[in-house]
Amino acid sequence: MALTRRHAILITVFVAAAALLGYLRDPPWLLSTTSGLRPWETDADGTRFRWMGGHASVFVPSSARAVELPVRTTFNAPGDWPITVTVAIDDRMSDRIVLSDGEWRSMRLRLPPPGGRKVRRLDIRLDRTRDDNYGAAIGELRIR
Amino acid sequence: MEGNDGPSGTRITTFSISSTAILRVAAALCLAGYVFVYAGGRAETPIRSDGFSYYVYLPSWFLFHDTTLSAVARDCCGGVFPTYTAIIRWPGTRRWVNAHPIGVAIMQAPMFGVAHALTRWTNLSADGFTMYYQHGAGLSGLLWIVAGLVVLRRIVRRHFSDSVAAATLLTILLGTNLYHHATFDSSYSHPYSFFLFAAFLDLTETWHAQPRRSTSILLGVVAGLIVLTRHTNVMFLLFFPLYGVVSAASFRARLAVIRREARLVAVIGIVATVVVIPQLAIYYQATGSPIISSYGSLGFNFGSPRIVGVLFSVQKGLFFWSPLLLLACAGLFGLARSSHSARAFVLPAVLFLVANTYVIASWWDWQFGASFGHRAFVDALPVFAIGLAAFFEWSGRNPARRHVVTSVVVIAIALNLFQMLQYWNGVLPFSDTTWDQYRGVFLKWR
Repeated sequence: MALTRRHAILITVFVAAAALLGYLRDPPWLLSTTSGLRPWETDADGTRFRWMGGHASVFVPSSARAVELPVRTTFNAPGDWPITVTVAIDDRMSDRIVLSDGEWRSMRLRLPPPGGRKVRRLDIRLDRTRDDNYGAAIGELRIR
Repeated sequence: MEGNDGPSGTRITTFSISSTAILRVAAALCLAGYVFVYAGGRAETPIRSDGFSYYVYLPSWFLFHDTTLSAVARDCCGGVFPTYTAIIRWPGTRRWVNAHPIGVAIMQAPMFGVAHALTRWTNLSADGFTMYYQHGAGLSGLLWIVAGLVVLRRIVRRHFSDSVAAATLLTILLGTNLYHHATFDSSYSHPYSFFLFAAFLDLTETWHAQPRRSTSILLGVVAGLIVLTRHTNVMFLLFFPLYGVVSAASFRARLAVIRREARLVAVIGIVATVVVIPQLAIYYQATGSPIISSYGSLGFNFGSPRIVGVLFSVQKGLFFWSPLLLLACAGLFGLARSSHSARAFVLPAVLFLVANTYVIASWWDWQFGASFGHRAFVDALPVFAIGLAAFFEWSGRNPARRHVVTSVVVIAIALNLFQMLQYWNGVLPFSDTTWDQYRGVFLKWR
């Protein structure tokens, strides 16, 4: 049976889609991808941080054994409640901390053994935010 | 443009590219514009401002299995939606009420499904707002505008030559703010209403040519979605009973047809009602009443409409920012005085455009916030397209007239695209533009 032009197009589309899906399984740009974080800012003492709302996610190499996550919030208004920060690694609960003052806290996260992917996803969630969806400031991750 | 003989033997405006080729060019241009906007960082993520509240139902329903919006509020925003989202706690029940209805989310659902599958595959966070969801929502609006152009081509081709259809599609896309809504602001409701209006016109014409059950069901679905996408667009449904009415006699004949086909008309009504019921249920769940003003205290000033403002002002005037639509109005006027087959659209078109302008001009924020041109009129562009096609056909009958119109259209499209780029680059303000501001940056990049 001769290969028609239509068959050739279908095969090309199928192969291209398969190749694209293969690439998207573990793409190299994932490590620099974040979500739920505002642009970088710098504190008076030179600490770099980004504000998050209720939920943010970042990625770390799966070869990492531990990650240190600096986090703090503000208590500008008299009625401001403490904020609970929860971190999950690849959808599994990892650590929780309550921010009850305006100081930087460091969450030390031990990563489970690497799985089949080159990167791991850290989901950071807050139980509440301040005005205009400002929740917690996230500092630069220290990966070991 | 070149001249050739039209179906009736008259010499008409021609475009050397066919209308189907124009559709392909339009799709490619929209995609290129979308990449230009987001790859260049000219806009924030697609799900923003009004786009957020139109979309937010999808993660709420499908990821958090919650129809109250509370779970998604907890996840995205620590339990409280930010003010810009226009999602408010209803006094009395303290439940979330979204100012924007569910129609856009329903039409975004296919792309949301694709985005969700890709999100799982790449191991991005499946919260409804990461990268694939963002561009799924953005590209969804783009695709519905291209689909709207496909339907619009079918309508225009029924009454006009292919070259007139090609020129009309290109002018509506690039000579108005439609292209802006296919690219920069594609997550708003207007791309969806643009498609639905075109589809309703097409189905109305098909139904009146041959009333069928299948067409009636489709008309009901589209009518329901029109209301679900923007409640005030319910006015557009008057096209169905008034299509083809050009005199008292034709009005009586139309009523006779509707009476004769009462069962099929009932099918349209029942299907439309079924489509709208989920929205009423959502309102009922949140407020205890199925019919509410979802904008809360914000509303219409019907006693002091800003008619001149919405039509001619430098702030957001329809004809100031899209002057080519004046040709469309002239085309509708010409159709009204002719025996052309497209005359069937004129009476409902004029009534709708007048009523729509009055409603838009009466809204408390008559500029409709940030947008390039007046975004509330994007929905009605399929109606303007019929007038524009009539104008192009008329202008094509005389070579001198054709050259003048071609020059005017080309210049107006170039100016429109330039000003759109100014808006994208922050040279033109998002709203409240003053004459001094406009003059100060006229034809300037910075």
